[in-house]
Amino acid sequence: MSFLDVWYLIIGNPVLNVLIALSHLLSGSFGLAIVALTIIVRLISWPLTKRQLKSSKALQDMQPKMQELQKKYGKNQQKLQQETMKLYKEAGVNPLGCLWPMLVQFPIWIALYQAIIGALATTPENLLDLAHRLYSWDIVNQAIPLNSHFLWLNLGSQGDFILAIIVGGTMWVQQKMTQAPAVDPRQQSTSRMMLLMMPLMFGFITLMVPSGLALYWAVSNIIGIITQYFFTGGWGYLKFRSPSQSTQ
Amino acid sequence: MKQAKILLLVVIALLPLTLVSCIPGSGQLAKGWAGTAVHDGIIYVGTVDGRVVAINSSTRNLEWSYSIAPVTAPSSGLSCGPTLAPTAIYGTPVVDRDIVYIGTYSGQVLALNILARSQNLTFPQQRYGEWKWDCPIDNARSNAIVADLLVSGDAIYVSSSNGRVYSLDKEFGDLNWESKILDEKHRKLWTSPVIPGDTLYVSTFDGHIYALSLETGGLLDWSFESEAGFASSPVIDEDTIFLGSFDRYLYAVKIGSDVPIWKFPQEKPAGNWFWASPIVNEGIVYAGCLDGKVYAIDAETGEELWQFESRDTLGKPVPIVSSPVLMDNLLIVADESGTVYVFDLSAELEDEAMPLKAISIGADVRGSFYAQEGLVYIRGEDNWIYVVDIDMGEVSWKVPLTIEE
Repeated sequence: MSFLDVWYLIIGNPVLNVLIALSHLLSGSFGLAIVALTIIVRLISWPLTKRQLKSSKALQDMQPKMQELQKKYGKNQQKLQQETMKLYKEAGVNPLGCLWPMLVQFPIWIALYQAIIGALATTPENLLDLAHRLYSWDIVNQAIPLNSHFLWLNLGSQGDFILAIIVGGTMWVQQKMTQAPAVDPRQQSTSRMMLLMMPLMFGFITLMVPSGLALYWAVSNIIGIITQYFFTGGWGYLKFRSPSQSTQ
Repeated sequence: MKQAKILLLVVIALLPLTLVSCIPGSGQLAKGWAGTAVHDGIIYVGTVDGRVVAINSSTRNLEWSYSIAPVTAPSSGLSCGPTLAPTAIYGTPVVDRDIVYIGTYSGQVLALNILARSQNLTFPQQRYGEWKWDCPIDNARSNAIVADLLVSGDAIYVSSSNGRVYSLDKEFGDLNWESKILDEKHRKLWTSPVIPGDTLYVSTFDGHIYALSLETGGLLDWSFESEAGFASSPVIDEDTIFLGSFDRYLYAVKIGSDVPIWKFPQEKPAGNWFWASPIVNEGIVYAGCLDGKVYAIDAETGEELWQFESRDTLGKPVPIVSSPVLMDNLLIVADESGTVYVFDLSAELEDEAMPLKAISIGADVRGSFYAQEGLVYIRGEDNWIYVVDIDMGEVSWKVPLTIEE
């Protein structure tokens, strides 16, 4: 059995069939099926998200202490970094912990991308190939072929600018809510750039992948913002001013 | 530290794009699976590089070829812009006197004159009766023509991916009429119409069979609605329509009735879709299925008479994508892996039928094929033409479709 066979058996085909079954259950709307799948994926990855949110909350709570460290060791960067790391360690916080839920979702993205291309069967080849990947569930076979329209989107097409803005915008908000501002003024520009880079990249990528996948990202980001808001009790760092800004 | 963080973020951001560009199963390019037609000893077929070719079956030489203008293929993943790709051809050329008609995935119907093409004149030569018709996109995603064209009387009937059926004047390519959009949900009409008398019948992906007036293209009173979409083109025998569905049943529908006469299999559904159109002969329906089986079904009762399962060397079922073909008393079936099975219909076939012959061409088969005078003409997915001699039980000759004049 090749890697590809294993991939389809474990991830690719289950995602495809669940997506089509959801579409049948949701009045034949493939868009709603993607939204439902996003919620399911977010629920499955909740333990990781919870850890990330706890980390984020802890970082937020640590801000007064961080500012103190900044005042105390502002002129000695090495010492400041050492003390900051020590503070992270004591609080059990990993500043890059937010990346794990995203990494875990990579296989889902790939499977979803394949599922969207396959399920919407843009070409006759896609439709014929789909026959070999479907389970024998009646609910799945009765849903084929799928309707690719959802709201203003054609879920199998690329290049929707509105969706690109939504994906980029929601990603920026979500990141801004969780990303602690750099204490070191010299790191602030890097931090700002990092905050902008991901949303811009994903906004750009949205233009190159089927709208169905971008819809998944947008919904996932919105769910992320909502859970973040309720879990940390507010907008987090979205309204937070960096120490250098607040002292000006 | 700073550089490492930036690098990490760039990698994370680029990873999905890179992956979606490389992963198998993400291709959206239409390649086509044109079928073969044979007329006066010449084989006509569409190729994967977007040409219509005519090959002399006696000399095995290329008589002529016509290159259809390439199309702009959509960009995907890391490719930063659209690229040119050959026009895909799914239909089988239709030859009517000295004109070859073909529909293309780029939404064109071409009428090619055999003489003009053999002289390689600029297309279209109106004095030779050549014309080109561009199907409108009509706010749909595509105007692609996937189904076989139907030539009947003085008209050509075209199913389009914009959801409409068109009637064109056979001689000049002028539009006679266009139907209303028959499948608002999918817009794709990938099945061919059929005309048993003065009415046109067409099936849709949203599970309808519509009856259209041949004069106006207007919908007639009767239509049939099923819960699942129809995968195959309809076939009509007397007043019954036979067609395959995505719900893994073959339907028999009496024209004028709201309920099917029968659905096959009668108990549980088949192992996969009935993708290929069935054929009907002397009260028996022969249907190939993507579950790898060929079924012979009593056309009146829907009872199974016999079945045969195509299997590869590992014992795995091989889907049947192409419609079966009758030649005298022989039923010819090709599975997707390129094995041609020949059944003698004059013999008494058991419940589990055994073919008279099984001949492998060594290439996948998805398009329709042609059988005549003991020879079967097949276009393999490797872009070769294979001619199978049934009596000899072997590939008599083959020729690549890349041949030059």
